[in-house]
Amino acid sequence: MTIPYEEYAEIRDFLYMEARLADESRYSEWEALVDNDMLYWVPRGEGDFDMSKHVSITSDNRKRLKTRIAQLNTGERYAQVPVSPMRRMISNIEVERTNETEYRVLSNFVLYELRAQSTNNVEVWPGRIEHKLRRCENGEIKMFLKKVMLVNGNEPLPSIAFII
Amino acid sequence: MNVIDNVTHGSSSNDIDYGDLIETDRIHGSLYTRDDIFADELEKIFYSGWVFVGHASEIPKKNDYVRRTIGQEPVVMLRNKKGDINVLVNRCAHRGNMVCVHDRGSAKFLKCLYHGWIYSLDGELLDVPSPGGFPKDKSELRLRSLRTQSYQGFVFASFNENVISLEEHLGRATELLDRSAHMSPTGKIDLSAGWVRQKFSANWKMLPENDTDGYHVDFVHSSFAKVISSHYDSAILESEADLKSQTKDWGSGHTELYLSPSYERPLQWLGSAPDRFPEYTADMKSAYGEEKADNILMEGPPHSAIFPNLFLGEMNIVIIQPINANECVQWHTPMLLDGVSDEVNSKIIRQSEAAMGPSAFLLADDGIISERQQIALQGKSDWLDLSRGLERETIGDDGILAGHISDETTNRSFWHHYRDVMSAN
Repeated sequence: MTIPYEEYAEIRDFLYMEARLADESRYSEWEALVDNDMLYWVPRGEGDFDMSKHVSITSDNRKRLKTRIAQLNTGERYAQVPVSPMRRMISNIEVERTNETEYRVLSNFVLYELRAQSTNNVEVWPGRIEHKLRRCENGEIKMFLKKVMLVNGNEPLPSIAFII
Repeated sequence: MNVIDNVTHGSSSNDIDYGDLIETDRIHGSLYTRDDIFADELEKIFYSGWVFVGHASEIPKKNDYVRRTIGQEPVVMLRNKKGDINVLVNRCAHRGNMVCVHDRGSAKFLKCLYHGWIYSLDGELLDVPSPGGFPKDKSELRLRSLRTQSYQGFVFASFNENVISLEEHLGRATELLDRSAHMSPTGKIDLSAGWVRQKFSANWKMLPENDTDGYHVDFVHSSFAKVISSHYDSAILESEADLKSQTKDWGSGHTELYLSPSYERPLQWLGSAPDRFPEYTADMKSAYGEEKADNILMEGPPHSAIFPNLFLGEMNIVIIQPINANECVQWHTPMLLDGVSDEVNSKIIRQSEAAMGPSAFLLADDGIISERQQIALQGKSDWLDLSRGLERETIGDDGILAGHISDETTNRSFWHHYRDVMSAN
């Protein structure tokens, strides 16, 4: 169903904030945007497969995502020591309200990552994201799905230890 | 499974003395960076010896195919009309175009899209459009067919007609492949979960070395150890004196981190226990008998590098693909088991994602570490030490040379076999 512009702007701003926290490796602040039934999924390609029968690049349930953040927060996750300077552009945002409190949001992105830990090359990560968001009882928006479909998700990829 | 010709791929330089670069206790860093050495490796290792291509379970039906690369040569592994597995070079004999463009699929014949030449799944040239202007007999041209042999469904191929037998190449490493297959109650693994590929800006040889290096785990993977309890805690991460697991040299460059002595309960290698998967445990017992099944479930799958490009990564199968001296790609797929519940296989997939691939808790860090090594080895380079544990290796009851889990028995095995292969004319 279509939504008023103000509601759209609120969702858009959530995506921008989520992107900025990820860009700046502010892991715990990023994790605060996540609800308890979160799935953080980076499939191969578009992910048009059954994840119980096929392997993904990343398929973190809430518990595994917590472990991922904890690993980054040890300061010894060497694939991100030092952290990659990153900036990503988000566009083509399409918002659909799926029920009284939940939204399905599609967007495109391009992420530029400086591989500061090893090659010092800028890696370009283009793709599409499906978010599922929920307005909690206190009015806050949280996400319970972030599915990242990389354009090159079926190709050989270097380390993705950051939050993509 | 036949060899059509024995054309060699250009001439290789025979003036590199590998004995000058590889000694008992040290190797020269230039082995990871020199372009001439990489070209020589393609000839002597990837185009003269046996190379792992894929698994029979990837092409279960007649006409099924998958694309792979051996060295830098594009190939197709397929199952022909008789059900036999062929490995064909993916290059039309006419103008060199690819005859197979999809990563996987099913095809009754291979058709070149450039001029429409058609080949059988055995590589025979079947049809040339507008044959009036074609002066040759079709039997004179074909897709090159590699010598192909399988063991436990693991398909190996060689460009070399006169290559030693696969049995001789594997030697006692057949026992490692048996151990992988015997994790299934039907004795069959199932590589149908798809492959994830990770790019390393590093030389390919660092991967089999790192895969069976027990010494780095405490350092490179300290963040993993801090936040996850796993079977590696008792196998690799204890203090030096308490560790029971071993490095093993199975001969011919095949190596292992033998983690099993540290396991205290069955299914520990899966981060699980028999009461979690009672059906699997029962099926294993009826398939292998009580005693052997108990041993299998206790010992777990091998953690072994099979020279040159296969890694049996416990419940993962891994292919190491060289790109050039400074770049390689690691392929991995979860080693699913035939004859078990979806629940067991799902567990294997999730365990695989935790360990392997670009975002995993382990391999993301290995990737960066090897890339830093590659950067540091550019330029003048230097000798690199491989002496760790040289004075405390022993030959076990199984006749296999073994060292402490932190020792470089495995790395020395790789390099000394490499020296033999690269020194051959």
